[in-house]
Formats: sequence, structure tokens, C-alpha cells
Amino acid sequence: MKPELQFFIGKGGVGKSTTSAIASVHLSRNSRDILLVSMDPAHNQRDIFQQDFGEKPQRVANHLLVKEVDVDYWIENYLKETEKTIKQTYSYESAFNLQNYFNVLQFSPGLEEYALLLAFENIIHTFEDKNIIIFDMAPTALTLRFFSLPFITLIWLEELLKLRDHIFSKKEIISKIKIGRRQIEQDKVKAKLELLIHNYDHLRDHFLSDETKINLVMNNDKLSFSEAFRIKKKLIDIGIHIESVLVNKSNSKAVPDEVRDEFNSQKIALFPLSSKSLLGYKAINEYIDENNEIFLEIK
Amino acid sequence: MMPIAKTIKNKIVSAFHVADEVMRSKAVETIEYEVGELDNIFAILVLGAFIGIPSPPIHITMELLPEMENEFEIMLEKVSTAHDPLGDLFSVLDID
Repeated sequence: MKPELQFFIGKGGVGKSTTSAIASVHLSRNSRDILLVSMDPAHNQRDIFQQDFGEKPQRVANHLLVKEVDVDYWIENYLKETEKTIKQTYSYESAFNLQNYFNVLQFSPGLEEYALLLAFENIIHTFEDKNIIIFDMAPTALTLRFFSLPFITLIWLEELLKLRDHIFSKKEIISKIKIGRRQIEQDKVKAKLELLIHNYDHLRDHFLSDETKINLVMNNDKLSFSEAFRIKKKLIDIGIHIESVLVNKSNSKAVPDEVRDEFNSQKIALFPLSSKSLLGYKAINEYIDENNEIFLEIK
Repeated sequence: MMPIAKTIKNKIVSAFHVADEVMRSKAVETIEYEVGELDNIFAILVLGAFIGIPSPPIHITMELLPEMENEFEIMLEKVSTAHDPLGDLFSVLDID
């Protein structure tokens, strides 16, 4: 069975890392195999669990592994791979002075969310044996770009494929007239476009699947609400549904009215403000024991 | 058959072949030019970043770049003849 994917998203500083850590520990206590992945380039999980993490998952408890995605590693790795393929396929690499152009590409905007997407793809393939994979996401802007990337990319790829088909059919006419038969040589760019469309379709399906759950984290304040409402709207635009809403550092026992009105089809959970700092596996466990009612509403 | 007759026949056949090839090339000249233009448009869409035109999401460029040597070449060539696009077109259409 494929693992369930849980994303923790929200404004910077509302406690995505803390709530995702609490949820991970809670779920792993119920003997389910959990992988907690920090996708925020400014990693926090190492501070919360007071343990060093990296690309290789580290065990925190019996059923809980934690991994930090190293964005720079993925960008570097990806550029290296692309450069290698170019060297293999191009015959005049030096004539274009391509190396210089290529060195500039690594500073292009947009590579960061692509690196996250590559890491995400790798994770869901590598850790198919887990019950739940929990993603502690970066603040709103990067996260929204990450989610919309497959959708935007598909629009581009489909248009490019149409143009490529058009070019290919004209090339076929030329070869038919010139050498009397249709070109049998395969168009590599077209093949690559088709492969990419297949991959991105797959990724988009992942985001839209019922196994993918989005948890929107916010605090009990106006600024946090308005950003949460905007995130909801943006996600609806691309067809992604928010599963539950977590109001973190909450002083009151009641769900704020604005939140209840806006998120009437979502599960809502209140994470009470902790009287002591939530650092280390033990402290998180104590918090869960004290506030067990949080998990009545959500899983 | 006499060797001389055979030679003449071969010459005529090969002349026809050449004429056929020339005619066929002539027939597709315009459409080849069009394909070149389309290839250029495709290259500009994907590789525009290299000649200063805002490009698609950069990862699309990166993914397709390894397979696009020809288009890359066409694009750079077109950039260098960009000062005289009409001359380029007229020469294909046989306009003096």
C-alpha cells in the first residue's frame, strides 16, 4: 500500500515544524511507521528534536525516522547530471561556449522549488514501505510555488508538445518528398516531452489524491488568519483541498469564529500553548500526554 | 549490350537521378525554411534564457537542453543573421 502523505503548511513562524513534530510522535506511538521530512531550507527539526539530521533519515523513536532535505545538494546534483548528458549528446559543446551559459543557469530563480520537487519524487519512491510520510514545509511563498509547479509545468509542456508535433509532421512531409518514405528516426525532444508530461501527470495526481492530506497551520491572530485564507484560495485555484486546520499556540479552548466560518468543511484542531519549551523527544511526548484531546478531532 | 551503350544509359539514368533530387529539394525548399523557422520558435520558447528572452520555468529548459543541440544551433544562427531577416526570406523565395 502507498503511504499517506501529510503536508504541514502555513505562514512563517506559526509552528509548522512543532505541530508536524508533535503529529509525527503521536502517530508513531500508535505503531505506525512514520517518516518526518523537513522541506524547509531553514531546517527546524534538528532544534526541536535536539539531534542532527541530514539527507539520510535518522531514527528518533522506534517507528519514527526524520530526514532533512538538502536543497543545495539536489540542485548541484541535478546540474551535474544535466551537464553530463549534454556532454554525451552534444558534438559542438565548446563551439557554443555552453559552459559559460550553463554556469549562470544555476542562479536562475525557480530552481529551488524544482529541487524540492525532485527530492519529493525521490522520497515517495524510496520510502514506499512507510505508513505515513509527513512533510514539514517551507513558509507560504515557496510552498505554494512547489504545489503549483506541476500544474504550470504541464501547461507549458502540452503547448510545447503541440508545436513539436507540428514541426515533426512537416519534417515527415519533407523526408517523404526527398527520399520517398517517411522519416523513421524518432524525435528525441518529442519523446522527452512525452516522458516529462507523463511524470508531471503522475506528480499532479499525487497532489490531488485522497492519500495526500494538507494541514494548514495558523495562530490565533488576524495576520495569521488572513494569510491562511489566502493560502486556501490559492490551493483551491489549483484544485488542492485542505484536509484540516491546526490553530497553534492557542490560549482559548474555543475555535475562533472567523476560522470556523472560513473552514466549515475542514477538521479543526486546537494546539494549546505549552507552558514550557517543546524541545526534545521527551518534552513532545509530555505535551501529547497532557493534551491528548487534540487528536480526537484529527487523526 | 555494347559497353558504350551501357555507359550512355548509365549516364542518362544518373542524370535523371540528379535532376530528380534537385527537383525534390527545390520542392521542399520553402517548407524546409518554414520548419527552420518553427524550430527557431521552439528553441526561443525553451532556450530563450540564453539570448535574453524570458524563458519558461527554468527546469523545462534544463530537461530539454540535452536533446536540443540542432535547435540551439539554429537559434544562435538566426540571432546572428537577425539584422537581415528579409534578405534571408527572399533568398528562399527566389526573389531578386
